[in-house]
Amino acid sequence: MAAVAAEQKKVVVHFRSTGNAPQLKQSKFKIGGNEKFLKIIDFLRRQIHQDTVFLYVNSAFSPNPDELIIDLYNNFGIDGQLVVNYASSMAWG
Amino acid sequence: MGGSTTVRDGTLSHGDFVASAKALIEKWKEIDVDDALPDWRWKPCCKMGVPSEEEGYLALEGVYRNHGGSQVQSCSGNLHFYDYHVVYSFSYKVPVLYFQGHQSGGQLLTLDEIKEDLPSLSLKLLGESRWTFITREEHPHFSRPWFTLHPCGTSDCMKLLLEGMQDKDQQVRYLPAWLTVVGQAVGLKIPLGLHCNS
Repeated sequence: MAAVAAEQKKVVVHFRSTGNAPQLKQSKFKIGGNEKFLKIIDFLRRQIHQDTVFLYVNSAFSPNPDELIIDLYNNFGIDGQLVVNYASSMAWG
Repeated sequence: MGGSTTVRDGTLSHGDFVASAKALIEKWKEIDVDDALPDWRWKPCCKMGVPSEEEGYLALEGVYRNHGGSQVQSCSGNLHFYDYHVVYSFSYKVPVLYFQGHQSGGQLLTLDEIKEDLPSLSLKLLGESRWTFITREEHPHFSRPWFTLHPCGTSDCMKLLLEGMQDKDQQVRYLPAWLTVVGQAVGLKIPLGLHCNS
C-alpha cells in the first residue's frame, strides 16, 4: 500500500486549443495523477499567459477543479492520454 | 422525425430539453451522489388546471451548505439551503439556471450571503468570465425574483462542449454538460459519474 502510494502514477495530458485560444508549442505533458484538475488549470494559465480559460474533456464536460486527474484519466482517457480542450473565455464573451 | 432541430448551434429544442431532463433524473439515481445532494425532480406545470408533463422545469431542492466552511455542524443555524431550478428559455432556446438560498429558519439569503458560501474558484469565475454573471429575474413559473445566470453566452459555450459529439448523443448529453459549467459558477459540484457511460 505504501509502496503504491509512493509511486505516483503520471498521466499524459494532451492539450488541444479551440476557438481563439493560442496554440502551445508543446501540447503533451505528464502530470501526477494524484493532483487535482486545478493543477492543470493553473499550469495552462501560465503556459498561455491568460488568467481566464475554459477547459473541457473530450467527453464534453467541464471538470470541477477539485476532481483528481487520475479519476478523469481512468474514466475518460483515450489511447493512454487525457485529452483536455481549452478555449479563451473571450470566445464567448 | 422530419422536423428534428439540430443542436450544432449550441441551442436545444424544447422537446429535447424535456427528454434530456428526464434522462438526467434517471441517471442521477444510478450514480454515486454526495449526501448533501438530493434528487433532481421534474416539476410539471398546470395547463388549464391539469398538470402537463411537457410544460415544466427541473428542480434540485434542499441542497445544504455549512455556512463558514466549518467541518463540524456545531449549530443548525449555520446551515444554508439552496434550491436550483432549470427552466427552458424559449427566447434563447437554452436552459437557464434559477436559484435561491435560505437559512434554516426560511429567511432568504442576499447575494452577498450566497457569495460567502461559494468556493473561491466560483467567485473567480463569476468575476472574470463574461458569460457567468448573476442577475435577479422573475422566475418564469413564480411571481417573484430569483437569482439567475444570464443565458446570453450559453449557446456559444455549449457549441464548444458539444462539437466533438455525435448528433444522436447531443440531445441527452446537453444538460449534464451544461450543468458542469453553470454548476462551477454557483458552487454546485456535479458528480463525475454523470458523464460516464453505464
